[in-house]
Amino acid sequence: MRFMIIVKNDPQSEQQTPPPELFAAMGRYNQSLLDAGILLAAEGLSNSREGAQVTFQKGRTSVKDGPFAEAKELIGGFWIIQVKSKDEAVEWARRIPLNEGGAVEVRRVSEPRDFEGVMPPATTAQEEAMRDILGNKSN
Amino acid sequence: MRFLVMVKHDGKLYETPPKRADMEAMGKYNQTLRDAGVLVTVDGLLAPSYGARVTYKNGEATVKDGPFTESKELVAGFWILEVKSKEEAIDWTRHIPFRSGESVEIRRIAEMSDFPDLK
Repeated sequence: MRFMIIVKNDPQSEQQTPPPELFAAMGRYNQSLLDAGILLAAEGLSNSREGAQVTFQKGRTSVKDGPFAEAKELIGGFWIIQVKSKDEAVEWARRIPLNEGGAVEVRRVSEPRDFEGVMPPATTAQEEAMRDILGNKSN
Repeated sequence: MRFLVMVKHDGKLYETPPKRADMEAMGKYNQTLRDAGVLVTVDGLLAPSYGARVTYKNGEATVKDGPFTESKELVAGFWILEVKSKEEAIDWTRHIPFRSGESVEIRRIAEMSDFPDLK
């Protein structure tokens, strides 16, 4: 199973530069995921001022540039890991070297088979073929 | 440059299964991204009841299983695109087959060159 671990922050905390010790601790944590053979992705997101929000209404899109100063929650980065269970994903999340006030959300990544009976077979085949090519292997 | 494009939703979308026509339309959209060579990855996230939240205090982690009743906005799925600019990322997202007030958030993925002081 794949899980995405999403690091939460907010408009205030995203302005703070993380101390060097945190970079080092995160580097060690990422290495532990690599050593365990479970790491599929580990990425940080740049400040929300470099981002945008796009809204879709009846065939029209509207774009609002960042920063998202009024947002209650922002996303600072994420991991994607491949493990045998939600419990295992949560155990890995517990070890993230986040300080006081840090929070993450652990979410299960869907696989085409989760949509059996709903997704048209041609789309399922297309999605699975695409995942093979992109290198995202489900377990 | 890589961009994370996240589908943000209030969670109600998990209450009904997706319609086949919507999934077909999304499948076609994903194929256009792949054909253009800009798609790094695309995935959906299952409902929060399959997940958990972890908070950190005093060196200890506290786990709370989903669903998350306090949450107004959830990530329902995402793409990672490799493109030349933020404008190009935005242009691609304009073609997502959404019509009913959905929104996506586009964020640039940090690269090592963003941290020149890091040794």
